Amino acid sequence: MTDATAPRNAPAPYIVPHRPWRDLLTGPVASIAFTVIVVVAVGLIWIGPRFLAFGNVGIMGAFLIVPLVVGACAGFALLSGVVDLSIGSMVGFSSALFALLLTLAWNPWAAAAVTLAACLGFGAINAIAIVGFGAEAIAATLGMLVALRGITWVLLGPQGAIFSFHPGLSDLVNQTLFGLPLFFLVAIGFTVIAAIVVARTRFGRHVQAVGGDDKAAARAGIPVKRIRVAALLLSAFGAGLGGIVFTAQLGSAARATGFGLEFQVYAALMIGGYSILRGGVGNPIGGALGLLAVAGVSNILDLKAVSPYYVNIIVGLLLLAAVLLDRMRGGDAYE
Amino acid sequence: MRLQGWGTGLTLLAVWLLLIAATGLYRPDFLSHQTVLAVSFTMSIVGVMAIGQGLVAISGGFLDLSQPAALIASSLVAVRLSEAGLPFAVVILGAVLTGMAWGFANAVIIVGAKLNPVIVTLATNFIGLAALYFAFQLAEVPLGSAIHQFGRAKLFGLPAIWWPMLALVLVVGFLIPRTRYGRRAIAVGGNRMAARARGISLKATRFAIFTAAGGFVGFAGVLFCATSGPFNPSSANALQLNVIAGVILAGISLSGGRGNFWLLLLSVGFLSTIPTALVFFGLSSDTQSIFQGLILISAVAFDGYRARRGTP
Repeated sequence: MTDATAPRNAPAPYIVPHRPWRDLLTGPVASIAFTVIVVVAVGLIWIGPRFLAFGNVGIMGAFLIVPLVVGACAGFALLSGVVDLSIGSMVGFSSALFALLLTLAWNPWAAAAVTLAACLGFGAINAIAIVGFGAEAIAATLGMLVALRGITWVLLGPQGAIFSFHPGLSDLVNQTLFGLPLFFLVAIGFTVIAAIVVARTRFGRHVQAVGGDDKAAARAGIPVKRIRVAALLLSAFGAGLGGIVFTAQLGSAARATGFGLEFQVYAALMIGGYSILRGGVGNPIGGALGLLAVAGVSNILDLKAVSPYYVNIIVGLLLLAAVLLDRMRGGDAYE
Repeated sequence: MRLQGWGTGLTLLAVWLLLIAATGLYRPDFLSHQTVLAVSFTMSIVGVMAIGQGLVAISGGFLDLSQPAALIASSLVAVRLSEAGLPFAVVILGAVLTGMAWGFANAVIIVGAKLNPVIVTLATNFIGLAALYFAFQLAEVPLGSAIHQFGRAKLFGLPAIWWPMLALVLVVGFLIPRTRYGRRAIAVGGNRMAARARGISLKATRFAIFTAAGGFVGFAGVLFCATSGPFNPSSANALQLNVIAGVILAGISLSGGRGNFWLLLLSVGFLSTIPTALVFFGLSSDTQSIFQGLILISAVAFDGYRARRGTP
């Protein structure tokens, strides 16, 4: 009824002009793209063409597979306005469970399926606590981080490691294509798919809307709870996938697997334009570029035999710069 | 108003007693002086850090994730000062001032750039730990120094380091709801716009809170280096989660404005009993994280449920 009584001559809604090329320079990905270019330039000047040689990029790529997959999925949770701190432990748990099942002579596919199902189960606990009961996401997933670490350590037993070398899996994961690790290219493809989902599908737009303003999204008829549950499950799924790849790559699972990965991934994602404090900003391409920038920095310092502790200092400073930039771009000022 | 949080307190006390009773029934030798010593030992450092974390939380600063780096920096100063043969009081003062300087530096970034404390302290923890690795690899208080003896001393059958923690929790818990400064901190945490409208300076409050919180971490650094053997810059990372869990279990809201510091004694005591109890149940020490994590999730879920029910 209210629609019928609304004035007929209401102004047409303002349509945001779609300028993909201009967005590339001014949009959220612009600053991280510049950062990556600067990192590459510094690498080329300081190290020389060797920095971009296939061998070197391949080494970086092999290290980046897990963070790329984990980051692309965890990005959905950030976009929907909930942060999932348990991803690092989830990677460790998934890696340990997968390795354990392999040593019990399970078929790798069955082992992977069971591992992913277990990760989704823990993701569901996160979702029940956060969405169902309204728990603070940071605190609840911190609890899950601790709990999963304990479960991982119990799985690994007193030795603290499971050796599960599987020749077929190792060959599969360490294949190369055009001189680059095949799975690195797969992970990049995964990121691109995630970016398309965010930008071009109804689910992606709903996730952004829920993160941007959940009350407005609810009034617009978007199932806010269901979207957040899906985002948290996706985040757990990505971490589970990452852990499986880890075990396949290394042929073992250890206590240190995934330890502290959540902070590295979120630091890189925030450098890449996501925000862990407000949803609705950032996209998978920016997140992947953030991971590339950090990997590039540590690779340069590695090749120059500079102490690795400088990496953390640079990551910390980049993180502060990134949040400052986010605030200038319209993020909430903290007072 | 003054009885705020006693429901949480009774629940905590009941759960804690239940844990003690269950373990005591299963293994009567659990109820021994050794257990009391182990629990109070663990409580001390976590308890003092939890005061700092609680101050940050109750004033709406969410979390201080840079506590591990601040703790190690203060411990390092304490070690260096006691190596120089300075009196114990100077050693404590140096460590506390180091912690306060750290908190002040956090506040400069937080207030100056108007950035969220969670991210700022995440970044300063990264930077601080890396910088600390340049400063030292392994440090230890000199054997036989006053601080070394303090870490091993007993007072009234409990570790000497437990008593300062008790005193600090009781004093802070008494002062926060009863002094103008404490009430200002709570007001800022509860609703910063309303607090500002009443003429409370948000900037001054942030500076005061983060500097004070740093001071508590600095004192925890004294307790830490007094009791631990040789430590490296990463040694304090494991404390962080216990501290945050203690604050949340005590009902000090992470979104600010609500909480009773006295309850830290119960929450930290309960959390510190878990590892010892599990050992008596014959479970490996690895399982303690599982219990701590699940307790934390249940506590926040319950907290969220209560908050949601309270404000329809």
